[in-house]
Amino acid sequence: MGGIQIEHVRKSYGSLEVLKDFSLDVSDGEFVVFVGPSGCGKSTMLKILAGLDAATSGRVLIGGREVTDLAPGDRDIAMVFQNYALYPHLTVARNMGFGLKMRGTPKAEIERRVADAARILGVEHLLERRPKALSGGQRQRVALGRAIVRQPAAFLMDEPLSNLDAKLRVHMRVEIGALHQRLGVTTIYVTHDQIEAMTMADRIVIMRDGAIQQVADPDTMFRRPANLFVAGFIGSPGMNIIRAPLTGTAGSAEVQIFGQRVTLPVPGEHLARLKNPWVLVGLRPEHFQLGPGAVTFETPARMVESLGSEKYLYLEVPEANRLVRPDQPGAGTIVATAEKTNTSEADRGATIIARLINPGQIAQDNAVRLSFDPANLHVFDPETERAITA
Amino acid sequence: MRRIRTSIFLYCGVVLVCALLLFPIYWLFVTALSPPDALQVLPPRLWPAHPRWGVFRDVLAAHPILLWLGNSALAAIGAVALSMSVSVFAGYSLSRFQVRGGQSLGLFILIAKMLPATLLVIPLFSIFRSLHLIGNLWSIVLAHSTLIIPFTTWMLKGYFDTVPRELEQAAMVDGCSPLGALFRVILPVSTPGLAATALYGFVLSWSDYAYARTFLTNAQGSWTANLGITTMKGEYIINWSDISAASLLVALPILLIYLFLERYLVGGLTAGAEK
Ligand SMILES: Nc1ncnc2c1ncn2[C@@H]1O[C@H](COP(=O)(O)OP(=O)(O)O)[C@@H](O)[C@H]1O
Ligand SMILES: [Mg+2]
Repeated sequence: MGGIQIEHVRKSYGSLEVLKDFSLDVSDGEFVVFVGPSGCGKSTMLKILAGLDAATSGRVLIGGREVTDLAPGDRDIAMVFQNYALYPHLTVARNMGFGLKMRGTPKAEIERRVADAARILGVEHLLERRPKALSGGQRQRVALGRAIVRQPAAFLMDEPLSNLDAKLRVHMRVEIGALHQRLGVTTIYVTHDQIEAMTMADRIVIMRDGAIQQVADPDTMFRRPANLFVAGFIGSPGMNIIRAPLTGTAGSAEVQIFGQRVTLPVPGEHLARLKNPWVLVGLRPEHFQLGPGAVTFETPARMVESLGSEKYLYLEVPEANRLVRPDQPGAGTIVATAEKTNTSEADRGATIIARLINPGQIAQDNAVRLSFDPANLHVFDPETERAITA
Repeated sequence: MRRIRTSIFLYCGVVLVCALLLFPIYWLFVTALSPPDALQVLPPRLWPAHPRWGVFRDVLAAHPILLWLGNSALAAIGAVALSMSVSVFAGYSLSRFQVRGGQSLGLFILIAKMLPATLLVIPLFSIFRSLHLIGNLWSIVLAHSTLIIPFTTWMLKGYFDTVPRELEQAAMVDGCSPLGALFRVILPVSTPGLAATALYGFVLSWSDYAYARTFLTNAQGSWTANLGITTMKGEYIINWSDISAASLLVALPILLIYLFLERYLVGGLTAGAEK
């Protein structure tokens, strides 16, 4: 049992800086998810925790003990790999017992613990098989079993579900959650899938280009994203971002959105210092309503996607609110997160998505009347991309 | 219909290639089983009228072929053991570690192989003479290793490249040292690659003539099979039947090893390591 402390870890491959001053304090029994686009350094951080890769600088503590220079086998951790990495020449039972055997655990004890783990994971009938005779889901369970028989201080999991089909993935997500509830072992779980992060994590660590963007529980991450990147990354589809010209900063800040004057939920003096006469404003797709409300506007729906109970409306953004030039501040981040939704780079500025539950018939290219509550708006500084809050 | 035509075509191709490759062996048989005077007849007979099956027993009685085979086997086993124990580590390092100049080192090993064996015979001869190894089977073991190691190192590097790194990472997290991971996980998983590589080295050693001829000619007791067979050629008469029979006996062990190792050579043991 024990928490994990990561202190100022940096990692470079030659001139490529893969991790930039990574610090994190994980408490005992916590389930922390590292999430971010591929190549952002998640696996690298996990390998440094496991001792499979050395940090360029910084320290790592596991269970209160400094392990920075210890071999992987001496760190009291277990790891689950994306491709499972089961030993193909050993039976399931020997795969699971291998780590104990290497530590000189008595044979009877190994057998007991393997049997326990196999029962928890429902693989008792597979113990004498070789990995190649197992299905993907079964291999996944054996890989988990190999981790839990060791009863380590921490589990490290690197995208353990990404080789499973969608249905099994949801199922195993729930199972890993239940396993964590039952064993209470500190877990660091890496994924590029924000839905996995949102559903499984006690706390989420969002990374981009080797730097932590925000550390928060899923709810906070969703409701108070620290910057443009987090806003776009969390949520499905991600937050809509539009450019909003400032029309007033005396008292409360006022901008123009969809031809309407809208009062932002931040004091005007926070915006008065900005270099530009405009801000980036974010609104989640689910915060639009059909029909009149606090701020009402009308705009054509360029495309309507129906998912049965809900519809996605691709709304045309007026010229004044578009992020037209790609070199505009913030545009790069918006494009970087836009790949999650299937809108192309150009579309992203010209349309935004509204997600409506049971809206009835909506014809494509017709003007629709929608509304939103300005309290739900997020404001971002176009230069720093940081959220501006009250 | 087209599918059938394609497979008929393929089968014809396979039969043709086999016929081409197997003809020399078949002809060796015909030559061995024919009485010596029947070999001069034109046109040659495709199968002797009275096959002399006793020729193998006679050849074994007349020449120390078993001794020669034993020497060949000792030399090959020694050379393969030496080569494998060097190239397992070399190949693994080339596959896994990014050292400065690692790639050029790998290429350098190959260049050493590109030199023809005959070029190396003379320097090796003077080295072995000063070590008093001339006439000793060890000279052959060492000389063959210089031939085999470049090949086996590259073959094993290629094989290790296909073994996922996560396997040894998992082993290290489970408590193995890097060497422990190599011996407990990577090598057991690589059995097909190891078997194929060792067999290749064995054949290289078995088929050598130049080195044996240079280092062993004056030591009759150490003659390898290939060297021994060439001494069966008399000054005035060449008994092609006996030589063919002996050649077949020398080829037999390789054939047996292939049959025995076949199930390892097909591979497939790594299946199941990954998704
Ligand atoms: N051994 C290595 N040598 C050079 N660059 C590497 C090495 N391993 C990873 N990288 C680079 O480090 C970055 C982060 O990689 P990784 O941690 O695997 O990302 P993630 O797991 O988030 O997808 C990538 O840009 C990758 O190309
Ligand atoms: Mg990764």
